[in-house]
Amino acid sequence: MDQQKQKILIVDDEKGLRLGTKRLLEKEGFEVVAAENGTEGIAFGTSIEFDAAIIDMKMPDFDGIMVLKEIIKKYPNTACFIATAYASYDTAIESARVGAFSYIPKPFSPEELLLQINKGLEKRELNIQKEQWRKEREERLLEVAYEKTRLNTIINSISDGVLVINKNGEAVLYNPSALKFLVLKSITIEEYIIDKLPEKLAEQVNNFLKSSEYLKRSLTVQIHMKDNDLVVEATSSPVPAPDGSLAGVAIVIKNITELKKLEFLKSQFVSMVSHELKAPVAAVYGFLKLISDKSMNLSPEKQDEFIDRSIIRLDSLLKMVNDLLDISRMEMKTTQREIIELNLPDIINNILELFQLEINKKNIKIILNAALSTPSLSGDQDEITRLFTNLISNGIKYNKQDGSLNIKIEKIDDYLVTEIKDSGIGMKSVERNKLFHEFYRVKNEFTKDISGTGLGLSIVKRIIDSYAGKIEVDSEFGKGTSFRIFLPVIKNSQKNNKETLTNMQLA
Amino acid sequence: MAKIAIIDDDPDIIDASSLVLTSKGHEVITANNPDDGYKIVKENSPDLIILDVMMNEPDDGFFLAQKFRKNNINTPIIMYTSVSKTTGIDYGVNEMVPVNEYVEKPISPAQLIEKVEKLLHQNIER
Repeated sequence: MDQQKQKILIVDDEKGLRLGTKRLLEKEGFEVVAAENGTEGIAFGTSIEFDAAIIDMKMPDFDGIMVLKEIIKKYPNTACFIATAYASYDTAIESARVGAFSYIPKPFSPEELLLQINKGLEKRELNIQKEQWRKEREERLLEVAYEKTRLNTIINSISDGVLVINKNGEAVLYNPSALKFLVLKSITIEEYIIDKLPEKLAEQVNNFLKSSEYLKRSLTVQIHMKDNDLVVEATSSPVPAPDGSLAGVAIVIKNITELKKLEFLKSQFVSMVSHELKAPVAAVYGFLKLISDKSMNLSPEKQDEFIDRSIIRLDSLLKMVNDLLDISRMEMKTTQREIIELNLPDIINNILELFQLEINKKNIKIILNAALSTPSLSGDQDEITRLFTNLISNGIKYNKQDGSLNIKIEKIDDYLVTEIKDSGIGMKSVERNKLFHEFYRVKNEFTKDISGTGLGLSIVKRIIDSYAGKIEVDSEFGKGTSFRIFLPVIKNSQKNNKETLTNMQLA
Repeated sequence: MAKIAIIDDDPDIIDASSLVLTSKGHEVITANNPDDGYKIVKENSPDLIILDVMMNEPDDGFFLAQKFRKNNINTPIIMYTSVSKTTGIDYGVNEMVPVNEYVEKPISPAQLIEKVEKLLHQNIER
C-alpha cells in the first residue's frame, strides 16, 4: 500500500484549476486523474477505486453532488470533497448528507487543500480498517455459530444421556437420550430442572450447587427409575467458569439395565453354586464329626458306612467342580476345539460299551438304529462324546429295571438327528421346562437315590448351542423321555476347508 | 426327653443329625420333602422341628415354616441354612420367617445339641 501511489480524482470543468491542482498533487507524490465534466467524473470515479476525489460543485452537465453520489455508491470509502465557490452552510449540510468527507471552499490555497486531503485519506484508512474488523467479527460469529451447531449435533448423537445445568439449577443443554433415561416428556432450556430430576440425582446435583466450596470430583449414583425396569447410572461433574468458580454441573446418564440384569443372574448363579457345593461338604463334615466324637460310641460298621457315604459325596462334589470348570471354559470360549470328521454311530457304540456294567445291572435292552449311509459329522470328538455320554447316562440312570433305550440316528434335511428314547420315569411338564437349568434335578420318590450334579443337561445344551444345533424333549411322567438332538451336517463344498483346517491343527 | 422332627432333602444330613439327637436320648422322626414334613409334624406333634431352608425349591423351608404357623402349629423351629453368608442375605428371626433359631451348615454335633437344648428349655419355661 505504501509503495503504491495514492490515487486522486479531480473533477472540474475549469481547465486552469483542474490542471493546477493536478500538478500540485502530483508534486506531492499522488497519482492524479482529471475529469473535465460530470460525465467523465462518474466514468472515471466508478471504473477504479480512488483514494480521494475533489469534485466541483457546479458543472454544466451534472452537479457535483450527483457525481459524488455515483462514486460513493460504487466505492463508499473514496474520500470525496466538494469544491465550491459558493460555500454556504447549506452546501456543507448537503454534501455531508450525501456522504462527502468535507467541502473545500474555492479558491483554496495549496496548504489548505493538502491538509484537507490528508485528513480525508486518514479517515478513509480508518474506515477501511473498521470495515475489515467488522467483516472479521462477522466471520468469527459465523464460525462460533457453526461450532455450536456441530457441538449440538455431536451431543445429540451420543447414546448416553447428557444434561448440563447452570449454577442456578436451570437446564442449559440436553440431548434426547437424557429425556429417555430420565423418563421426562420435555425439558425447556433455562427452566429450573432440579425438581424434575429423580430424587437421588437432584440430591447429587445440589451437592455441587449448594456447596460453599468448589467440589472438584465427580459423583456417581445408580437410579432405578420408577414405573419401569430402567436402571441408569448418572455421573455429575462440576463445570468450571473462567474465573475458577462453579459454572454448573454436567450430567452423563448411562443405561445400565442390562448390566444389572446380568449382575442379578450372576449372583443368583453364585448362590446356587455355593449351595450345591456346600451341601456335600456339610454332609461329609457331619459324618466326620460323628466318627471323631468318641462320646457317640459308633460301631465299626457304622463308622465304615459313614466313611463310604462320605466318599460318595466327595466323588459327586468332585464331578460337580469338574462340570463347573467345563461350563466356565465353555463360557469363556477357551476350549481348544479339534474339528474332525466323526462317525456318530461309532461314538455312540463306544459310549454304550463304557456303560455296559450299569446296563447289565438294570437289564436294559439297547436298540441302536443307524442308517448305513449316515453322513459324518464335523465336530470335536471330546465334545460330541461328552454330549452323548451325558444323555445316554441319563437314559440309563433314570430308566426302570428291565427297561429299554432306543437310539436312532438319521439325516433330516441339513441335520443329523439323533433320538434317544428311554422307558424311564419321565417328567411332568413343569419339570421339563427347567430341565436345562443349572443344578436343576427332578426330585421325587424315583429320583431320590439317583446321584447327579444337576449340570449334565446344562452342559449338553451348551455344546449343542455352540454347534448351532438344537434339542427337543418329549416326556410323559411315568412312561419315559425322549430327546432329539439336531446337529448340522456340513455340506461337501465346505468339507475341504474343514479338512485343511483339521490337518493344520493336527500338524 | 423330647420328640424332634427333622425335615431335610439330604439323607446324609438326616442320618447324621438323627444319630446325634438319638444319642442324647431324643426320639427322632424324619421327612425328606415339605409335604411329608408337614404330615409327620401334624400327626406326631413333636416338641421341636429342624427344617432345611432349601429343598426342592430355594424357599421351601420358609414356606413350610409359614404353613405351620398359619395352621396354628407353634412348635419351635430351627432352620438349617447354607448360603446366607455367600449371598449376603442376612436371615433374621421375624414374622415373615417365623422360626426361632438359625443354624448355618455345616453344623457340629455339639452345636446342634446346644441349640436344641436351648430351644427345648425355652419352650418348657413358656
